Amino acid sequence: MSWVTLLERFRRGDRLALSRLLSLLARGERSDEILGRLDPTPRGTRGSGSPARVVALTGGVGVGKSSLTGKLIEAVRPAGTGGPPGLSVAVLACDPQSPLSGGALLGDRFRMPSQPDDGVFIRSLATPGGQGALAEHLDHMIRLLEAFGFDLILVETVGAGQGDTSVRDLVDVVVLLLQPETGDDLQWEKAGVLEVADLIVVHKADLPGAANVEAQVRSMLALGGRDAPPVFRVSARTGAGIAELLDTLLAQPLRRKECDRADDLLRLARDTLTTRFSRARTAQDAELQGLLGRWQRGELSAAQAASELLRLLAQQQGSGVRDQGSAGGPSSLTPDS
Amino acid sequence: MPARFPGTTTDSHSRRPMTVPRPPRVVLAKVGLDGHDRGIKVVARALRDAGMEVIYAGLWQTPEAVVRAVADEDADWVGLSLLSGAHMTLVPRVLQLLRDAGLDHVGVLVGGIIPEDDVPQLLALGVARVFGPGTPLPEIVAFLNQHPLGGDAERCLG
Repeated sequence: MSWVTLLERFRRGDRLALSRLLSLLARGERSDEILGRLDPTPRGTRGSGSPARVVALTGGVGVGKSSLTGKLIEAVRPAGTGGPPGLSVAVLACDPQSPLSGGALLGDRFRMPSQPDDGVFIRSLATPGGQGALAEHLDHMIRLLEAFGFDLILVETVGAGQGDTSVRDLVDVVVLLLQPETGDDLQWEKAGVLEVADLIVVHKADLPGAANVEAQVRSMLALGGRDAPPVFRVSARTGAGIAELLDTLLAQPLRRKECDRADDLLRLARDTLTTRFSRARTAQDAELQGLLGRWQRGELSAAQAASELLRLLAQQQGSGVRDQGSAGGPSSLTPDS
Repeated sequence: MPARFPGTTTDSHSRRPMTVPRPPRVVLAKVGLDGHDRGIKVVARALRDAGMEVIYAGLWQTPEAVVRAVADEDADWVGLSLLSGAHMTLVPRVLQLLRDAGLDHVGVLVGGIIPEDDVPQLLALGVARVFGPGTPLPEIVAFLNQHPLGGDAERCLG
């Protein structure tokens, strides 16, 4: 079955086609073709009729991102009591990929509701290190889920920590989870992820020490120059605070619609370069091999080699893409059934 | 259903596309009321270390939940672990639901305590392999690596 057929089925609301297309995008295959055929201004058709709201949940290892995600799903579904009923929700859950074997144990959906519900879609994503706690091509996958018509898209980052701020560019709302006993108040003075948070959750509020952490965070935020993000004490175990968190979360402005998308453009350019580079490398492109050789032998400095590489990859436009297309077989360029 | 996984693996391997770009994605789940998850966690770890993407769906899953996880995760394989004795009820149910959902291409493995007499029946129903206690982990890894795309060579590779 070709991606063209998949797209037709996708437009008819076929869940398996969505799943398969997500896999293609996750691997960076046919991304331009698929994304180019999506509705540029999708509206949530499965519930609210508004554009999708994309929310990231980030925070350290074991702070309860998956458990809270699970509770938020329950709260927005018709059976839930915590919010506007019947929002459809998709989850992209990132878990780390082994730097040694490339394998991954993806254990996030284990903590989320498992009974089949047509308004809930959960995909686990293996995430290489050094990517800012996000799986590759996450922005593409978000666009696909939007086009399918989900009202709420929850992105769970890898259990991360200080400095994983890149998620802010991709989503409307960043929720940072903290937990009791995470360190003294100096930890909150450090720059990084606390600065990009739109909402702060002191999670595991049923444990002792939650009030203390909340007080520390609040006092630190009070010193800041910008409007302090709201702080919630939440417990996925008892359900305390979930409804309040959800209300605020759904009332946040859709930041992605407001920004000028310049960052999107940069990201697209970066993705294009990455794709061209890996193609050239896989194809053992002679020019690239030569360049790498000269750099490894020390004939070029790293900076010289990098700008040489940019020039080389820029030249590959057109022919490179077209060659790749025909190499993919007859189904790759010609729409078929 | 004819056996899709003959004893020697070279046949089925050779008709697979040579462009397989990735290791298998495998959903592992405990179906039914059975709280023994040590074995499935050991298998999960072994597959992870062999470079596979393992989605651990965990304990007390219904057949419906397992099939939904397989669909949403676009998995190539699903591994079911049962130590409860309910395998002749639950495994056929999973197989039927996979077919109903249009997921015939997904391969099914079974592990746990399965009496020898039941193994041929499970294989006849469409289970690819039954890996009981004492199976060397490399044997499971090798089997999956020889059949990375589950039961189907016709999957869309883009």
